[in-house]
Amino acid sequence: MIDFFVSIGSAIMTPLYYVISFVLVGFHNVFGDLFGPTSGLAWVLSIIGLTLVVRAALIPLFVKQIKSSRNMQLIQPKVRELQKKYGHDRERLAQETMKLYKDSGTNPFASCLPILLQMPIFLALFRILDQAARNPETKRGLMTPELNEQLSAAVFAGGKISDTFLNADGVEVRVLAAVLVLAMTATTFLTQRQLMSKNMPADALSGPYAQQQKMLLYVLPVVFAVGGIAFPVGVLFYWTTSNLWTMAQQFYVIRNNPAPGTPAFKAKEDRDRAKAAKKGIAIEPEVTEAPVVTEVKPPRQQPQRQTKAQRNQKKKR
Amino acid sequence: MKHLLIGFIRAWRFAISPLYGQVCRYHPSCSAYALEAVTEHGAVRGTWLSVRRLGRCHPWSDGGYDPVPPRVPSHAPGVGSTTPSQGA
Repeated sequence: MIDFFVSIGSAIMTPLYYVISFVLVGFHNVFGDLFGPTSGLAWVLSIIGLTLVVRAALIPLFVKQIKSSRNMQLIQPKVRELQKKYGHDRERLAQETMKLYKDSGTNPFASCLPILLQMPIFLALFRILDQAARNPETKRGLMTPELNEQLSAAVFAGGKISDTFLNADGVEVRVLAAVLVLAMTATTFLTQRQLMSKNMPADALSGPYAQQQKMLLYVLPVVFAVGGIAFPVGVLFYWTTSNLWTMAQQFYVIRNNPAPGTPAFKAKEDRDRAKAAKKGIAIEPEVTEAPVVTEVKPPRQQPQRQTKAQRNQKKKR
Repeated sequence: MKHLLIGFIRAWRFAISPLYGQVCRYHPSCSAYALEAVTEHGAVRGTWLSVRRLGRCHPWSDGGYDPVPPRVPSHAPGVGSTTPSQGA
């Protein structure tokens, strides 16, 4: 049984070792020439380069996601109806909202695929770094014994990048790891908070879901601290860079593709209007725009009828 | 084995899921689905269902409401919301 899992694991990881080490060694050829092949800076920059390559390779997924969330504006009235109708029942609300996303072919979420793809990459980098320090004489992917030695001995800001907080010799590695843990926590925290404060409708912010989200913000530092203690500094560089990328990507989304009925959406409209005014064209206010708190206004005539029709339609499916 | 998997999924949902927020295009989310699938259907079939669900969760899918198929009719796992029993 265990053999079975081990062989599945190595079947997945072996090609990954080659791919990861190919990118890593490629960058190291460049940065090693610039800063010296044994320098920590060359290896840290190579790891950062690897992160950028991985995240850039995932851009098509991101683009597809942006495209599929483009019509969020159009279905926003329906989402609001559902919130009114099932606001008390979180489970049902989630089901119906997801059904609506499916029926309209519009889904704001990124899917699990990017994470699923990044997991083994992260693991492969960890293994390469870890094994370079433990068994430098073993070739792994394109990491020759010589490269292994260089990587495991590379020192950045006084700390060996293959060391972890737990097995560190000096205080430098611990400082480095602590700084990186702080950076990761800060980036993730900011990413989440930016999402919540700018790109979520007010009604989504008040429910128990938001409560749960807020609690996660306190769990995050703990999780990062645990991860940051157990992983080598080099891997933490990967992690931090990846988080920064995520933050930048989200900033882009919030600026250019904000969710309707949110502060970010309003900000974009204002920007667009200002831009149009500059060019001398008057733009009529967007039809689809609904102010954040319209709940009081149209409760009677329309929603009742529409939801029923909608529900019937869904039953037929 | 089953309890090992359940423990793993629980740990994942506690420690790793918060790191990236909601990304799943389905309800229940992939990890919630996996937890329920393994609990309901056991390690082998539960894992199989979860792997298939993860395979479905990509940006080209429409997502939607996709509950774990019920255990009793041991045949033809209805995929997603086409399950007829899902009306009310």
